[in-house]
Order: sequence, then structure tokens, then C-alpha cells
Amino acid sequence: MNVFRGATAIVGIGQTPYYKRGTSPDPELKLALRAIVAACADAGIAPQDVDGFVSYGSERNDGQKLMWGLGTKELKFGALVWTHGGGIPGALGLAASAIIAGHAEIVVVYRAMAEGSNERLRVAVAQNDTAAQYLVNGMDGPAQICAMRSQRMIEYDGVPRSCLRDMAKAAYFHAKRNPNAYGRTVDLDDQTYEASRYISEPYRLFDCSRENDASAAVILVSAERAKDLAKKPAYVLSAPIGAPHGWGAAEENMIDYTSGGFKSVAKRLWAQSGYGPKDVDVAQIYENMTGMGVAAIIDHGFCTPETAGDFIRYENLIVPGGTFPVNTSGGNLADGFIHGMGLVNEAVRQIRGESPNQVADAQLSLVTGGPGDMVVSTALLGSAATL
Amino acid sequence: MAQRERIVGGIGADEEYWNGLERGVFQLPRCTGCKKWMWPAHFRCGACGTWDLAWEEVKPEGVVYSWTRTWYPFDRTRERSEDVPYVVVLAEIPHAGGARVMGVLSGPEDKLKIGAAVRGRILAPSPKSKGYPSITWELA
Ligand SMILES: [Zn+2]
Repeated sequence: MNVFRGATAIVGIGQTPYYKRGTSPDPELKLALRAIVAACADAGIAPQDVDGFVSYGSERNDGQKLMWGLGTKELKFGALVWTHGGGIPGALGLAASAIIAGHAEIVVVYRAMAEGSNERLRVAVAQNDTAAQYLVNGMDGPAQICAMRSQRMIEYDGVPRSCLRDMAKAAYFHAKRNPNAYGRTVDLDDQTYEASRYISEPYRLFDCSRENDASAAVILVSAERAKDLAKKPAYVLSAPIGAPHGWGAAEENMIDYTSGGFKSVAKRLWAQSGYGPKDVDVAQIYENMTGMGVAAIIDHGFCTPETAGDFIRYENLIVPGGTFPVNTSGGNLADGFIHGMGLVNEAVRQIRGESPNQVADAQLSLVTGGPGDMVVSTALLGSAATL
Repeated sequence: MAQRERIVGGIGADEEYWNGLERGVFQLPRCTGCKKWMWPAHFRCGACGTWDLAWEEVKPEGVVYSWTRTWYPFDRTRERSEDVPYVVVLAEIPHAGGARVMGVLSGPEDKLKIGAAVRGRILAPSPKSKGYPSITWELA
């Protein structure tokens, strides 16, 4: 018996516009409220009926702060999932578990970020858990740390650099057809990419996600309740969180160094969902940096380091035509960065048929959490036909 | 111990690493039970359950496990803005169980590649290293 698979569904999605970092007209808590209220409206649920609150990373707009603004009748469940962006699909998993266990009935998973009312985002996202060894040696945080891992993935594992470039190109291509995308005006061709400055080798400017002020939220309910609501449910087939032996807080001493950390959760994802990489119609791959998205794709078994050059190729990553369309709203790179939460909303839009770059007849929609995080997670969403 | 603001983001068992560097000694922690090298330092050996680790002096020699050349002056390491671009090397120490230790690269960079031999040199605490002593790697 698998009590988790398909027992809950995402029935509402909401988000604010992406504002340039530091320019949100609203403080962070208000952004969170806006996204949650929008998700409730989308689901046809009254905001005061939301009884569970789940987020991840350094989210500070917790349920206890939101409840007066939402008119919450009763707060029954609230939790923050480890660690950074690695926890996003895991937050879906925890929300679903709370519903299945009967702790709560209507759970919102959300993230809000605004530099004006919080510290610098890079600092907030890093959560003060960067060990001395990094900071002493000129390593500020994720961009450089991930750069070092991707350098070995390229130089030692033999994954072609073109995979990084093509992840970026696919994201910007999709963003051009998304009127809400922050990066929709950028034309990213090979020349523009190769001419862009290095941030930390092997990453160039276009390999790195920008930071925005924004908020996004999704509403989960039981599969039974989902049937009576307005929108086509996106069922949560599996949403494991975890880390394999030799991962975690390892200060670059992880056993599987060039991995994104997903091999153990991906194994559980396929086992629990009953599907495999070949079945996935569309994927939202968290790319804080392109190279880590590449590692996530390899970890999930879509390709190997040897076949990555052919598989993670621009033409194969885009709608229409690609067999593995990724980041169809533009992703963290070109849609906007709310610590990855925007990817969940897009994964749901694909199941509904509402994506700006809709994959024809999308039934199985993957969304992966922040790669390379000390704990990571991944989720497979499906239409009713996949249950 | 020189004055330095303690960076609290890690496991928090590495104080002796920095103390060693401050005395001019490159040392890494090892389980007294099963002799497993434990880097980053921890409070308990997860392999055998021993609570005691010993700090052993290690020859600061290894090979480049990976590296990155940073071109952007990041916020939290802004003390190094004037050094951009600079290279940070993750050095693997074969005679310490393959422990990987970070350090900024000093000297010529033309032979920089994974697998290249590096030798470490200890630097005194400075603002660039946030008041900590540090090890800098040089291509051998
Ligand atoms: Zn031991």
C-alpha cells in the first residue's frame, strides 16, 4: 500500500509579479499574503480556511504572522523544511503528509522575498550557514561553491560545457513567450552567452540566476476534496526529501562530489510514483546555476555524463520539438527567482494546460529542488490519468 | 589566539584546525578509534561511534580536486575585491584519507588543472581571511 501517491493535489496557484531586487512596492509579508490570496482565489477556497502553512529555507513570513491578514479560522499545522532551495518539493511532501495524517486540510506552500524589508537576498538565502573554510578562503556562497563542483563535472567527468549554455538558452527562449517573465526581453544566442563575463568559472553571467522581489504560493488539499474544486488537480505522486550517505554538511567532502545530491531521492521518486525518467513529459529543473541543473538531470537518470552532451542540448530542451522540455516559464534564470518557488507553479500550469510554453498533453510534470543543497528534494506531479 | 570574529556557519568542531594554522601547523582530525580521517571535523565518528578525535600534523601537499576562478566581488568576501580574479583550489590530501581542503591559489596559474600537485603555505591572519589564519595552495 502506498498511502502517499496521489492522495493529495495542488489545486491553487498564485504569485505576485517579479520585481527588480529591492524595488517591491510591498513589504515581504504583504507579498506573501498576495500570493496566498491569489492561490486561494485560483482554487476557489476562502483564505480564512487555509489551516496549514509550510515553507523552506529562510522564510520568515510564518503562519503566525500571516493568520491575522488571512482571517485564519484555526492554524493546525506549520513547518519549515530544511535546508535552502533544496527543500521546495520536500515542502510539498510535508504539506501532503500533514493532510494525509489529518493534521490539516488545506495547506499552503509558499515563499516570499523582498530585499527592502529583509537583508540582502544573497545573505538571506545563504542563511548564515556557510562554514568558516569557505568565507576565510574567498568563497562567498552558492555561486562559487557550485562553480567548483561544475568545474570538476566538466573537467573530470567530461560533461560538455555546451550543456550549461544550452540550459541557459532554453530558459531564455521560453521566457520570451512568457509575458510575466522578468528576462523576456533578452535574446540569448551562443555569441551573447560566450561573450558574457565570467562570474566564477566555469559560470558566466547567463549561468547564474538573478534575484527578484516576489512571492509564489500553491494550495494543497486531499485528492477527494480536489475533485470538487474549480481547477484541474495536479496530483502529488511523490515528493521525497533527503540526502544519501556521504552528503549533507560536508564542506566539499561529499563522496559523490559532482552530483546534485539527488540520486537517493530520485530513486525513491521513481519507486513511489511507479514512473521513470522516460515517462516524464516536462520538467522544471531548479538551476541556481546552470551546471547544477545539469547535475540534477544526470542524477535523476535522464542521461549520463557520457550522453549529457547530446541530451542536454538546446533543441531537445525546448517547446516545441524537444523530448525533454525544461523550465518552460523561463525558470529561475529567465522567468524570475523566488528561491525556486516559481518552478512549482509552472509545473502545475503544465498539468493544467496553462503554461506559456505548453507541452502538448502533459501528464507527468517533474519539479526538482535546489541542487547541491545539503538536503535536497524532488517531486513528480501528475494528471488524473496518471493515478 | 588572535582576535577574530568566530564564523559560526559550519559544524563547529574545527577550532583546532585554525589554532594549528595559527601556530604554523597544518593538522587534520582523525578518529582515535577507527583511525578514519574526519574532515570536516565533527564531534563524533559516524563510522565507529568514538567521541574522541585527535589532530594530526599533515604534510600540506596534495592534488587539485577542483577549482574556480572568481571574477565577481561577492558581498560576503568583499575583503578580496581587489584580488579579483582569484582562484580558489579544493585540494585533496591523499595521505589524510583524501580530505579536501580549500585555499586560495598563490603564484603562477598556468599549470592549474584537476590532478595537478599543490603545496600549501600557511598565511598569518589578515582582514582578507577575516582574521583567520589560512592555507594558500601553490602549484608544485
Ligand atoms: Zn571512528
